[in-house]
Amino acid sequence: MKKLFKGPNAGWNSFLVLLLVLEFVVFGSANPKFLRIPLLMTASNDFISICIISIFVTMVMITGGIDIQVSSIVGLTSIIIGVAWQDFGLNIWAAVALAVFCAALCGALSGFFVAYCGVQAMVVTLGGSFLYSGLALLVSSLSSTEAYKGISGFPDAFKAISKTKVFGVVPMQIIIFLLLAVFAWFLLHRTKYGRKIYLVGVNQTAAEYSGINSRLIIMSTYILAAVSAAVAGVVMTAYLGTSKSDIGGNLTMNIITACVLGGTLSTGGKGSILGTALASIAIGLLRFGMPLCFKINTQYLDIPIGVLLVVVVVGRALVNMPSVQAKLGKLRPKKEKAGS
Amino acid sequence: MSVIKKVLKAREVSSFCFLVALFLIVGVINPSFLKAENVTACFNTSVVYTLIAVGMAFAIFTGEIDVSVGSNLGFVAAVVGTMIQNGQNWFLAFGVGLVIGVIVGLINGWGVAVMKVPSLIFTLGTNGILRGLMYLTVGVQQVNQLPKSFKDISSMTLIGNFSIYYCCAVLLTIVIHILLTRTRKGRYFIAVGDNAGGADLVGIPATATKIWAYVICGVMAALGGIIFASRIGIVTSLSGNGYEMKAVAACVLGGISLSGGVGTVIGAAIGAVIMASISYLLVFMGFSSNYDNAITGVILMTIVVADALLQKRAAVKNRRARLAARTEKVTKEAAE
Amino acid sequence: MSEAKEKAPALLSVRGIYKSFGLNQVLKGIDLDVVPGEVLALIGGNGAGKSTLMKIIMGLYTHDKGELLLHGEPVSVTNTAAALARGIYMVPQEPLLFPNMNVEENVLIGFKQPKAELHKELVAVMEDVGWDLDLNRKAGGLSIAEQQMVEILRGILRHAQLLILDEPTSALTFDEVKSLFKVVRELQEKGIGIIYITHRLAEVFDIATDVAIMRDGIITIHGPVGQFTREDLVKGLLPPDAETEAHGAAEAAAPVDYSAAPVLELEGFSGYGFTNVSLKVWPGEVLGVAGVVGAGRTEMATTIFGMDKVLGGRVLLNGRDITGKKTKQVIEAGLNYVPEDRHLNGLFKICDVAANTTSATLYKGALGKVFLSRKAEREITDKYVKSFRTKITGQDQLLGSLSGGNQQKVVIGRSLAPEPKIVILDEPTRGIDAAARGDVYSIIHQLREQGVSVLLISSDMEEIVELADRAVTMYQGRINAEFKKGDINQDNLMAAAFGIAGEEEIGA
Repeated sequence: MKKLFKGPNAGWNSFLVLLLVLEFVVFGSANPKFLRIPLLMTASNDFISICIISIFVTMVMITGGIDIQVSSIVGLTSIIIGVAWQDFGLNIWAAVALAVFCAALCGALSGFFVAYCGVQAMVVTLGGSFLYSGLALLVSSLSSTEAYKGISGFPDAFKAISKTKVFGVVPMQIIIFLLLAVFAWFLLHRTKYGRKIYLVGVNQTAAEYSGINSRLIIMSTYILAAVSAAVAGVVMTAYLGTSKSDIGGNLTMNIITACVLGGTLSTGGKGSILGTALASIAIGLLRFGMPLCFKINTQYLDIPIGVLLVVVVVGRALVNMPSVQAKLGKLRPKKEKAGS
Repeated sequence: MSVIKKVLKAREVSSFCFLVALFLIVGVINPSFLKAENVTACFNTSVVYTLIAVGMAFAIFTGEIDVSVGSNLGFVAAVVGTMIQNGQNWFLAFGVGLVIGVIVGLINGWGVAVMKVPSLIFTLGTNGILRGLMYLTVGVQQVNQLPKSFKDISSMTLIGNFSIYYCCAVLLTIVIHILLTRTRKGRYFIAVGDNAGGADLVGIPATATKIWAYVICGVMAALGGIIFASRIGIVTSLSGNGYEMKAVAACVLGGISLSGGVGTVIGAAIGAVIMASISYLLVFMGFSSNYDNAITGVILMTIVVADALLQKRAAVKNRRARLAARTEKVTKEAAE
Repeated sequence: MSEAKEKAPALLSVRGIYKSFGLNQVLKGIDLDVVPGEVLALIGGNGAGKSTLMKIIMGLYTHDKGELLLHGEPVSVTNTAAALARGIYMVPQEPLLFPNMNVEENVLIGFKQPKAELHKELVAVMEDVGWDLDLNRKAGGLSIAEQQMVEILRGILRHAQLLILDEPTSALTFDEVKSLFKVVRELQEKGIGIIYITHRLAEVFDIATDVAIMRDGIITIHGPVGQFTREDLVKGLLPPDAETEAHGAAEAAAPVDYSAAPVLELEGFSGYGFTNVSLKVWPGEVLGVAGVVGAGRTEMATTIFGMDKVLGGRVLLNGRDITGKKTKQVIEAGLNYVPEDRHLNGLFKICDVAANTTSATLYKGALGKVFLSRKAEREITDKYVKSFRTKITGQDQLLGSLSGGNQQKVVIGRSLAPEPKIVILDEPTRGIDAAARGDVYSIIHQLREQGVSVLLISSDMEEIVELADRAVTMYQGRINAEFKKGDINQDNLMAAAFGIAGEEEIGA
């Protein structure tokens, strides 16, 4: 474990661990129920999609992009599973595969526009959030079930995704999250592909000069993010037992906050899986603990999360801003250019 | 008049043509649509979109974005609605609403222009905070006991079937357009987004200009919130949700470039009408309103991708023309 | 002549200006005067300090020592606004217009006076200088020359008495240059002082009244144009101890075997910015490519490297056609490129030394198939850090925190890590200190010994004399001269780079 805290991000990661401990202490002392592991484990269903998705959105952000369409892909996945299973009579697992495949296509489409057409990621994924949530609605209208009711009655094998508990304590969705986190960690920090993601994010033209196909790399991160959203959609559908087109709700701010809080640089080139994972858990605990311990309505949770986001970005800007540092930063490039 | 000028000028004109074509196509499919009250209804329902799109246009002109307008609108609607419901003075309520808009704009402007935080991320944060504050104001109930006199303003008409609100919004848009294009400082917004380096060179204060843009955006959202409360008559905790997206889409539809520096508020207003009409038109075409988001998404993505490709091509062409000029010169010198 | 100048009230006087960036002394006591109606041509190679001097005059940099006098009074110009207020206006090399605004708006933006008044003044000014420019055209559609006219109008309307034109002709066509010169003459007649920065000696005699040459932060020649010949100017550009004889730096090294098949062959290679380039590079040869900035050398290199469209001709690497191949394939085929603009195209500043060094080797198996072999990464990095004597605290040091010279060594290491047969070095010693420069030279010697060919693009003639086995010069997109090892000297390189030899050939 110690090894994970090595490297340039170590200080920040330790801070995040501290934050987690602090949350346990504060929430635990306010309401001892918070410390009941089974309860906590079950509650993770409510925020596990934030955790799963933000890990892969981190990769998008490392390339210098952003992805605000993922929450609509969650809903699209959910409704495709339901309609394919109930109305088209597909096997439930075939339906899941179909949904994941469709999500990947959605990610590829947006990624293509960002990488190959040079449209700002924010704009493309904004359009994507309309398009994919719209598609989800259309898919839901193919069903004989009224859209607002949602499709339910899934086979137990499917629902088992969220009901199974490994060793009787750890629910399946946590295992899925951990597996994905480990996978993403290897992918980003231990493979050549991951290295390319960083290089593209730090300096895209320099990456091109190194013979890296930067566009393909950028596009692939959007596909990964979309697939992770699909996985979150599957998990949520299994947990709720209903397939609805809008179960993604508004995860966007939570996901972006998790990435930024995890130490991801919104201008690209910096970020870590561990950081995002810790930050997303911290946000999850916040979402669980606040209503439980301080009777705060879940609808108000946008306030602390928003404050957190603003405080982190402004704080980071402040750290980089002091006039001394600004001057130092300016001097260096000038020194180089002066000669030319 | 150069070709380029014609093309650029055509931006909002083509948006308008698109709107007219949209109406005509729907009219062909379902002739019962082409009645004065249906067409004016499209305009009248667009009033809130028009206001926030015009505000959003300012942020986009400077090359930034403001995704907090939806919650800003909702929060103001909730506050103003609650005050009026509780029998407070209307104008006091309006004043409070507008002050909220100014404050939100100042905070956003500070974060983006002074602290240099990427605008999407910063305003996403303020969006969340405002949304939460709105829940606090509205609570589990809704604001649904608004006095009839307040709600009735929205059904008052001024010219033909056009509501008084829409007429005011159009008037406001025109005034803003004139201020933007005819005054010295008005041009600053476009200039900052057009060429930040060039703006610096001629001494335009980029930071102050951006803060102003966000304040205007906030105030327009607040105005939108007040009119929203009056028109809809009910403010729930979800009011205004996703309006920021509609406003951005309206700007894009109206020919405003998201990379900044291009477009007019008139375009934004036309785009807002298109946005508002889509769901209305779908009904007349016999589609369910389920198509609304998908169609918006397709239109939005098509426009931005086409725009980006055109710009990219122009930039490459420009660069190549410059480089080619160097070698061409030798040929000419040799020829002389 | 200096007496006459002292009598005339100088618009701008620069007295004993010193400026250094860190240890790098860029300006070492500059004295310069500009009187009304003077067109002062300022010439100098890259790194001579011209831009630094202009930035000091414009208030973008502050000088360490010396003073600036305007109309004989000492002033301190601390920002651009102050410079504008004092009647100095610089037309940048790349005009900074608002592409989506029309000409009139572009000129008038930023003024405080009422628009109608300004419009009248603008029309009057344009009539006065006899320009015909449609004020309603969008700036984005203007040619570069017209854009420069708009920039000049901005200056005139601000009542600028001193205009600085920074290499105004570098992107202009022949006709545009003519019209620009007409404008400059009109301004001169109106008594406006002009500093005209250029790379082209021919222009000096066409347009300037006075000329000043800067080299290594000092002014070597200054006086009325009539006093000098082209040869005098070329001499002024060279270091005082410049040997006109061929330099025998590579004497100890083994001679290049010209009977072998060439490594790289360009046949009538054309692209954007260069035309009809043919050259050959033999194994273990260092081919110098001299020229001034904008001669098309970088464009040629990047086009070979798969970054831009090929317009004609062929590139053969070891007899294999690599014309128009993607960068990755070009690297794979055995060619690599060290970019001119290190910051923009070479460095991953917030990545560590190891990641930078190995970034170009990710395509092949050297670092493992899927997983990144940390061991291989360390070994490759270590190899280049050691053999280049790169000063780092460890392989995990971020590149942004290294000095310019060490950054450059890492970038060179990166391009060598895939073990190319030929490497193109584009201005490899720009902006780095003397010690690092020596290290880069020894790297080039090492490469030569290992049989790796080098295409050395440099604007530093001394460097080419010192290192090259053969040299060509590029002038306005074409190769205009070639020199065998024995014939390479700074004199003829400089002359050819500034187009003198080339023009004579064309004229003949």
